[in-house]
Amino acid sequence: MSSENIPGAAPSLSRLVQELNRLPGIGPKSAQRLAYYIIRLPDDEAYALADAVTSVKQNIVFCADCQNLTDASPCPICADPRRDRSILCVVEDPLDVLAMERTRSYRGLYHVLHGVISPINGIGPDQLRLKELFNRLAEPELTELVVATNPTLEGEATAMYIRRHQSREDLRITHLARGLPVGGSLEYSDETTLTRAFQGRQEL
Amino acid sequence: MAPPKTYRCEAIILGYSPLGEADLLVTMYAREQGKIRAVGKGARRSTSKLVGHLEPLTVVRMSMVNGRSMDIISQAEVVESFAALKEDLTAISKGLYLSELVDGFGSEDIANPPLFQLMIQTLRAVQADSASDMPLRAFEFHLLQVSGLMPELYHCVECRQELEPNAHRFSPNVGGTLCLECNPDDAHLRPLSLRALKVLRLFDRSSIAEACKLSIDDGLADELKSLLSTTVGYWLGKEIRSNSFLERLHKESLPEVYI
Repeated sequence: MSSENIPGAAPSLSRLVQELNRLPGIGPKSAQRLAYYIIRLPDDEAYALADAVTSVKQNIVFCADCQNLTDASPCPICADPRRDRSILCVVEDPLDVLAMERTRSYRGLYHVLHGVISPINGIGPDQLRLKELFNRLAEPELTELVVATNPTLEGEATAMYIRRHQSREDLRITHLARGLPVGGSLEYSDETTLTRAFQGRQEL
Repeated sequence: MAPPKTYRCEAIILGYSPLGEADLLVTMYAREQGKIRAVGKGARRSTSKLVGHLEPLTVVRMSMVNGRSMDIISQAEVVESFAALKEDLTAISKGLYLSELVDGFGSEDIANPPLFQLMIQTLRAVQADSASDMPLRAFEFHLLQVSGLMPELYHCVECRQELEPNAHRFSPNVGGTLCLECNPDDAHLRPLSLRALKVLRLFDRSSIAEACKLSIDDGLADELKSLLSTTVGYWLGKEIRSNSFLERLHKESLPEVYI
């Protein structure tokens, strides 16, 4: 959307529409609907939204250990003495930490790469938090590294790069199981997924 | 006559990017249709019937529906997955290099079946021997050929005299090889050894599989790599981004192990 005012709209409203239009997945029409919704909000709710945006930009930092986004470094997970420090789970982005925490089945630590190696998009190892990861692997209490990048071509390439470049021979390196999703269908599964699901079959 | 509302195609997936909440914008190169950008609705959901079928470097048979701005992928079935290639980091990086070049040289709505076939044959060669760079060099040469940019290798492009069996010079800007007598004012001019010229002529009359049987020393390999990747980059008109990761892996050259 251009930086010009929207015909018939107040300049401040045009500005809000233009800023909302910058958000991913928000087109010009959606931006207009959201802007008019915000105008109709009670003052306290609109100011709370503005305050939340300001606050997140002022307060969010990278955790010095796991590189996740946090209000204070180290983040609550890294600072929690009840977490298992012998296992480290590598994920692509902060949303993956939220997904893993929802399972309540993992009690170890995380490391967030903030992306994956994507040669076509010009993203190489230096653009990710890999140096910080390799520094953490020297911690003697660490015994297992779980590489939980997405099972995509670029996710797998990133996992292979990590495997290739870590230097501890005594470190167990695993990745998450590949196979059929709950609610999925054999008929529509691709051959790689089915092959790996078959290889990972378990006793009933 | 209005175009058909639905059609089938066989294509190799070149890449994708997220679109909206759970869709994928997929770039592919189809045998009969050329480059296509199409939407995989809901393809990022783990239970989608499209998930796993749209990974890059996969040959897929698809049913498509004409959309207003972009076509929609309604069904997809893997024809060739290149599973072994995808378990080798070097092979993946070479495959992505091929993808970037086919994306750059391929045109939307202009079919070029030889380009489709070239990519598949090269991926098979990379899968068979990921350590060799010969598939990439042969691909670069044939890419120029099937794109109508075949360099002249038998006559001087300036004086049209048949080339003597000597060292010569080469420039993508003038369309190929020059004899030593001709001196055009050309910033892209570079030396071309007789051995490199012979390899290029061999590429001209060989398939990818045949070219990959050729064994050459490191000096000649470096000359061919520089010449062909520069020529391809010249015609592409932009940086080949996947090249830097490929170079990095080559420099590191550590033994690789798949998890």
